[in-house]
Amino acid sequence: MDDLEFRKRAFANPQDQDPEFLAAAAANPERSRVLSQLQALDARVGKAARSIPVPADLATRLKARAAPAHETRKPGMRRYLAVAASLVLAIGLVLSPGLITARPSAADLKFHDDVLGHVHREISRYNPGLADISLTQINSVLEEAGGHLRDDEQIKKMHFKFANGCNIAQNSKGAHIVLNGSKGAVSVIVVHNSPVSTRFDVTDSRFAGKIIPFGEGNLIIVGEKDEPLNVYEDMIETAFEWSL
Amino acid sequence: MSDTPVLDDRQKQQRYESLVDALYQDVYRYAYWLCKNGALAEDLVQETFLRAWRSLDSLQNDKAAKAWLFTILRRENARLYERYRPDLVDIEDQSLMDSIDNEPDQRMDRKLLHDAIASLEKDYREPLLLQVIGGFSGKEIAEILDLNNNTVMTRLFRARGKLKHVFFPDGNPDEDPDEPLDE
Repeated sequence: MDDLEFRKRAFANPQDQDPEFLAAAAANPERSRVLSQLQALDARVGKAARSIPVPADLATRLKARAAPAHETRKPGMRRYLAVAASLVLAIGLVLSPGLITARPSAADLKFHDDVLGHVHREISRYNPGLADISLTQINSVLEEAGGHLRDDEQIKKMHFKFANGCNIAQNSKGAHIVLNGSKGAVSVIVVHNSPVSTRFDVTDSRFAGKIIPFGEGNLIIVGEKDEPLNVYEDMIETAFEWSL
Repeated sequence: MSDTPVLDDRQKQQRYESLVDALYQDVYRYAYWLCKNGALAEDLVQETFLRAWRSLDSLQNDKAAKAWLFTILRRENARLYERYRPDLVDIEDQSLMDSIDNEPDQRMDRKLLHDAIASLEKDYREPLLLQVIGGFSGKEIAEILDLNNNTVMTRLFRARGKLKHVFFPDGNPDEDPDEPLDE
C-alpha cells in the first residue's frame, strides 16, 4: 500500500480494522502518527456530535403516538367503538346544521377526517412566538401548489407564521399556511385536488372550520373552537388566484 | 372474532417501542445536525417515527432498522425543510449550555468542534455524521445517501481533511488532503 492509498483510507475511515491497512500503519512511524491524530480527531468529533442533549421525554412521546392506535384495535372495543361512532355520526347529522344542509358525500366525509388528522399532526409545529413571515415567502410555497396571494390591505394586517407544502391529499399539491388567530393557530390550506361536492363544516372536540370548493381545488380553514374564521375566508377569496 | 390481531398489534407495539428505545437518541442527534435546530429536529424525529410506525411491517430485519430510520429522516427533512424552513433562531448555543460538560475549557473545545462540524458543507457533513453518530460502513452510507461508494469515501476523506486543518493547523502541509480526488 503506497502513501497516497494509505492516506485516502486513513482519512476516509481512521477506525478501519482491515489487517492490510493496520499493517501499513504499523510499518511506518509517520503513518502511525497521522492515524493516531485522525483517531483522536474522530473521538473529539464523535463526542461533540453526541453531546447534543436529547429532550428528556422524547422517547415517551414517540411511544405515546403509536399507543392509541393499538388500543383502538382491541377486538372487544372495536364493536363498541363502531356502534358509538355510528351514534355520534347519526347525532351529528341531526344536530349539525352545517352537515345537514351541505349533504357532503362519503368521499367528502373521509376528506373531513383527513383534514382534522392533518391539522392535529401539524399543529405541533406551530410556535406562536415565531416572527411573521413575508408575503414573498408565503407565495413561494403557494406557487408550488399552483396559486398566489395578491398583496392588499387585508393581507397586510395578517400575522402569517408558517407556510409549507402540504401533503393532505395524496398526489395533489397543496400549501399549508398558519396564522395567529385570537384563540390560537389558524390553518389555511389550499390544495389542488378534486373540489368537494359542497361546502361543509369541519369539527371535532378541539377544532372547528370549513372545507370550501374553491376553483381548481379546495380551501380549508380550521382554527380552535370559537375562532372567528370568516375573516380568513374573505381574505383568501379576495386575494388568492390560481395560476395553473 | 379471533384474538390473533391483538397479539399482532401487541407484537408490533413492542417491536416499535424497542426501536424507539434503541435508536431515538441517535436519530434525534442526526436530525439535529441535519437541520441544526432543536425544535425542527424534534419535529423531524416525530415525523420519522410516525412514518416508521405506519410502515413497520415493511421492515424485514431489525438489524437494518437504523439505516431505515435515517433514510426516512433524510426524506422527511427534504420534504419539510430543505425547500422551506421557518425563520427560527438556531439554538446551538443553548444546546451547548444544556449539555453535560460544565468546565469552561470543555465547553470551548466543544464550541469549536460544533462550529467546525456545522460549517462543513452538507455533502461532507452528512457522511461524516453517519459514520461517527450512526456507526455506518461506507457501503451503508452510500446506500442511505444514494451515492456510489467511491464518492462517499472521497467525501469522508475531504471532511476529515477540513476538520484536521482546523484542529491541527501546524500539521505537515504535505499530509493535507487537498489534491482533487475523483468522486
